[in-house]
Amino acid sequence: MKNVLIALLASVALLNGCGGGSDTETLPPSNQQPTDGNYNGPAPATTDVQRFKLNLWDNLEAVNRCGACHNTDQAPYFVRDDDINLAYTETNPLVDLERPGDSRLVVKVGGGHNCWLDSDTACAETMTQWISNWAGGTLGGDGNEVELTDPVIREPGASKSFPLEPDNYINTIYPIVREYCAQCHSDDAAIPQSPYFASADTSTAYEAAKSKIDLDTPSRSRLVVRLRSEFHNCWSNCSSDADEMETAIQAFSDAIDLTEIDPELVLSKAVRLTDGVVASSGGRFEENLVALYQFKTGEGNTAYDTSGLEPAANLTISGDVEWLGSWGLMINSGKAQASTASSRKLHSLITATGEYSIEGWFAPANVTQEGPARIVSYSAGTTDRNFTLGQTLYNYDFLNRSSTTDRNGEPALSTPDADEILQATLQHVVVTFDPVNGRQIYVNGELIPLTDIEAGGTIGSWDDSYALVLGNEVSSDRQWSGSVRLLAIHNRLLTPEQIKQNFDAGVGEKFFLLFSVGDLINLPRTYVVFEVSQFDNYSYLFAEPYLINLDGAALTDSLPIEGMRLGINGKEANVGQAYGNLDVTVDAGTSLAEARVLSSLGTLVGLEKGPESDEFFLTFERFAGHENVYVEPIPVPPGPPADQDPQPDIGMRNFAEINASMSVMTGVATTADGVQETYLTVQQQLPSVINIETFLSSHQMAVTQLAIKYCDALVEDSSLRTAYFPGFDFSVSANAAFDATGRSQIIDPLVENMLGAGLATQPDAADVESELNDLIDRLTVCADGCDANRTRTVVKASCAAVLGSAAMLFQ
Amino acid sequence: MTRLLVAALLIGGVTISGPLQAGSQEQAKRLHDRLAGVPPTPATLATMATAIDGGDAIGAAYTAMESEHFYNVTLKLFAAPWTNRDQSVFVPFNDYIATVIGMIRDDIDFRQVLQGDILYTGDGSLGLPAYSVSNNAHYEAMEAADVNLKTGLVQSTQSSVTGLPAEATAGVMTTRGAAKSFFIAGTNRAMFRFTLMNHMCRDLEQVHDTSRMPDRIRQDVTRSPGGDSRVFMNNCVGCHNGMDPLAQAFAYYNYEYDADADPTGENGRLIYNSSGQLDPDTGSRVVKKYRINANNFIYGYVTENDDWDNYWREGTNALLGWDNSLPGSGRGAKTMGQELAHSEAFAQCQVEKVFENVCLRPPVDGADRAQVTSMVNSFKASGYKMKQVFAESAVYCMGE
Repeated sequence: MKNVLIALLASVALLNGCGGGSDTETLPPSNQQPTDGNYNGPAPATTDVQRFKLNLWDNLEAVNRCGACHNTDQAPYFVRDDDINLAYTETNPLVDLERPGDSRLVVKVGGGHNCWLDSDTACAETMTQWISNWAGGTLGGDGNEVELTDPVIREPGASKSFPLEPDNYINTIYPIVREYCAQCHSDDAAIPQSPYFASADTSTAYEAAKSKIDLDTPSRSRLVVRLRSEFHNCWSNCSSDADEMETAIQAFSDAIDLTEIDPELVLSKAVRLTDGVVASSGGRFEENLVALYQFKTGEGNTAYDTSGLEPAANLTISGDVEWLGSWGLMINSGKAQASTASSRKLHSLITATGEYSIEGWFAPANVTQEGPARIVSYSAGTTDRNFTLGQTLYNYDFLNRSSTTDRNGEPALSTPDADEILQATLQHVVVTFDPVNGRQIYVNGELIPLTDIEAGGTIGSWDDSYALVLGNEVSSDRQWSGSVRLLAIHNRLLTPEQIKQNFDAGVGEKFFLLFSVGDLINLPRTYVVFEVSQFDNYSYLFAEPYLINLDGAALTDSLPIEGMRLGINGKEANVGQAYGNLDVTVDAGTSLAEARVLSSLGTLVGLEKGPESDEFFLTFERFAGHENVYVEPIPVPPGPPADQDPQPDIGMRNFAEINASMSVMTGVATTADGVQETYLTVQQQLPSVINIETFLSSHQMAVTQLAIKYCDALVEDSSLRTAYFPGFDFSVSANAAFDATGRSQIIDPLVENMLGAGLATQPDAADVESELNDLIDRLTVCADGCDANRTRTVVKASCAAVLGSAAMLFQ
Repeated sequence: MTRLLVAALLIGGVTISGPLQAGSQEQAKRLHDRLAGVPPTPATLATMATAIDGGDAIGAAYTAMESEHFYNVTLKLFAAPWTNRDQSVFVPFNDYIATVIGMIRDDIDFRQVLQGDILYTGDGSLGLPAYSVSNNAHYEAMEAADVNLKTGLVQSTQSSVTGLPAEATAGVMTTRGAAKSFFIAGTNRAMFRFTLMNHMCRDLEQVHDTSRMPDRIRQDVTRSPGGDSRVFMNNCVGCHNGMDPLAQAFAYYNYEYDADADPTGENGRLIYNSSGQLDPDTGSRVVKKYRINANNFIYGYVTENDDWDNYWREGTNALLGWDNSLPGSGRGAKTMGQELAHSEAFAQCQVEKVFENVCLRPPVDGADRAQVTSMVNSFKASGYKMKQVFAESAVYCMGE
């Protein structure tokens, strides 16, 4: 199988090429077809030379890449084509197989030396990948082997910080960018191009511009550099345009006061992110990459495939998609899509092995999107695909077209609903397919236990005319919102160990920042070291601080460290002081040759001016003999709240009070037959709040129902009714029962028990009696003589009329 | 029947009185209405009116609270919303509600509500199903029979009835009713949040303070919701930095139930990992839910025990009035409940809840606020007796 792969690699690697160049500014020919790739010299002498040829030389020798000059015209001749073994010898000094990213070849193209792509970063990454592929299994060092070096010692200085409000920006820089840059760098542009520092919304514009402005050295601002050195869409003369921009930024900066450092603080020395030692992000397993996106470019409309495997399936970005300073794309609404031609390599390389893995670091924007919303897809629309990784609410969905599914890859394999595996946070996701296990899903390094009906299927039916797309379906109707920090496609099954390895390696660029504390304890080269990375566009992650001495010295005295805080640009950060409670003592005699861990915690610090400019330092409440007691300001109690509008003095009874009141007023138990049942039926229709302004007609309907039930229970129970209406003869016909005596025997108990006697806040008893008399009059008119039940019915009605009235309801 | 109904409605519509100057009779009626929820009998009304005329309105209020309906109606609905996440009053009677009612009835120092080894059950003579740690039948039977709660509730201890170790009891927080609502699934933060809402009268927004140290925020809290860390830095951190170190007090508690067969946990039970009882997932007494979703932020805090710390003793939440005689940190729910219950905010909250319950409105102006302050002081001075707060509130709102 491996032979097949190598053959394929060789065949696709030689399809095209671009130019190389030299320090003498010989520009490479552009738009030139690559050579045929035939090599007619002596055979590679060793397997390593063979690896060199396949992985690096074949990619570089094209006449529109390095081959334009470094073949025979310009030393070093590392792409000479007369003898691959001599080219190998020439190349060895130019590469670092342990740390491919440090190779001279990478540094040169990354520095802009005749990069054959629009992005120097992409050239550097691609070159790194080629060298890594050559190095193969010899790679894999982990981050712990980084050699720390002394940083530039800076005194924490007074510094400028961006003001909160955009007013200053609106008056200085914004008029220029709004006039000249808004055609692209605005979210309302025809083809919006982030960052939106010229947005019509000034707050949006200001936020986007911050990272492009250097407050301390305006000439180093990205807004200036782009014009002056990179000739990026100047509106008249690049030099004068850059001057105009620099003047505006200078004016912006001049209007900002310096933040002075509190002289009482116990301080470390200061560092910037760029002073940090890059922590190797090595350790990733990438033996079988077919496409790799690291999103390091940071600008433009192309996300480069830096797998080094030609043709590069570069993604064209469209819609509302932002670059992340921490490397990545934030897809709000839009997508990044490769051409069908360049996507074809996925088809050929994956069907050749019959298995594959898609790996990514994703941060879904929410847990409400569905469709499935397409995170990454190799498809032709909503009904035809080779594979798709998608999101439905809290689930990852994996669709793969195989011999056991339809052409849409359905049914999907999804993570279980109840487990809520998908979270709206950065997650490492790997989905794999192979004929034996079918589909599998790993999240954050762990296999999600699922059973796939696709096991035993094959992917021979894949279609090579589909396109790889990120963030949406190719038909743009299955939008996914979220961030993608890395995407890698492998044409082999990643093993659980390899997945764990890649998860542990993390994503993005990490630095070790060395905060010098040597002068606080008279032990030079003593540092508090943090692992720091840009977390996203808005913050830095500081993690796992430790103490070390680069001379390997030991402490002469015990070293108490208390209350460590992170400072940024002249002040302590407002949010994120996770080490403020630190309280450790390192014993005298402790060797600091090895890291002495201070905390396993990590915390975020808000990004202010950008990774190039933000200056960090540490403060301590106590460090050795130095002390600065941190005093919390005493909070001021708020004043009394404003008076509210007067509120009603009376209210309704709520459901339970109504029920209990009716029971009290009638003498019928709440548990009486039928009553309890009716109460439970209408309970939630009765008033549940006492505010009289919430009274509804539906409340009255329920009150009436319950009142009738209580009165029914009262009248139908002979002992209860005899006690309640003493003397009244219920056996007499209604025509006769309600004479003056009878009426009094009914109305008087009702008024006494339900209204109470002589209460000015209750309805007037005479009014109520009059109403009841009228009611009885109306109800005792029977055309053909009243039947035997009529008497009880009239009493019930009279009872319910009072019981269900405001006399009961209000309190 | 339709005609009868219409007639009933008609008479209901004509009997609304206008505002009137209230005499002692009317004041007595309102006292009784507001406290017991039902109108008084003529005899009770007369007794109360006489007391009011004699200058003992508080005594009249205590007379009203002699009604069983003060317990069966007013207090039952007073406590019911505290026992469920929807804050609904339409919930079955349970041990949380019963315990609140019993404590008020017996004039127990109400601060015990968050720390005491106390439980109220139905009297043995009532023929109820026995109290069970794994169902609510005992209390539902009391409700179905409309048992007189003034006489039918018996004081007991959780440790003797439920078998929870005495040191693990924390008032209503460790009742089955509370556990079923707030220890079920999730991360146990719900128990803290709802306790804060119900007994400190503050939701998390009101205690939001981003300046506290975030060192105790657990790993499960994502630091970049939706990929945007500003949301965390401006919002999430402001609650979690104070809540997580306090909610750590519940690290040994869980509500165990069969999520498949019994998804609402009707037959679930509160469990507590006593010394030596180790959770198989954490290898410690800490329950698994405290360590879930660790990869959301691997550098977050890993809970090792039930030590709690009150970070809100400093910063703007110092205004909640913490008890300086307490250390502000400790182990387990009992002392954390004590920390909350001894705060000024707790006393203030109980008074405001009663005020609104009895006056049918919140305090709205300076006079109301002064009354609340006065009641808070007498509540504290008289040993935190809730009936006294009910009486004073009712008298304040009984009309002039």
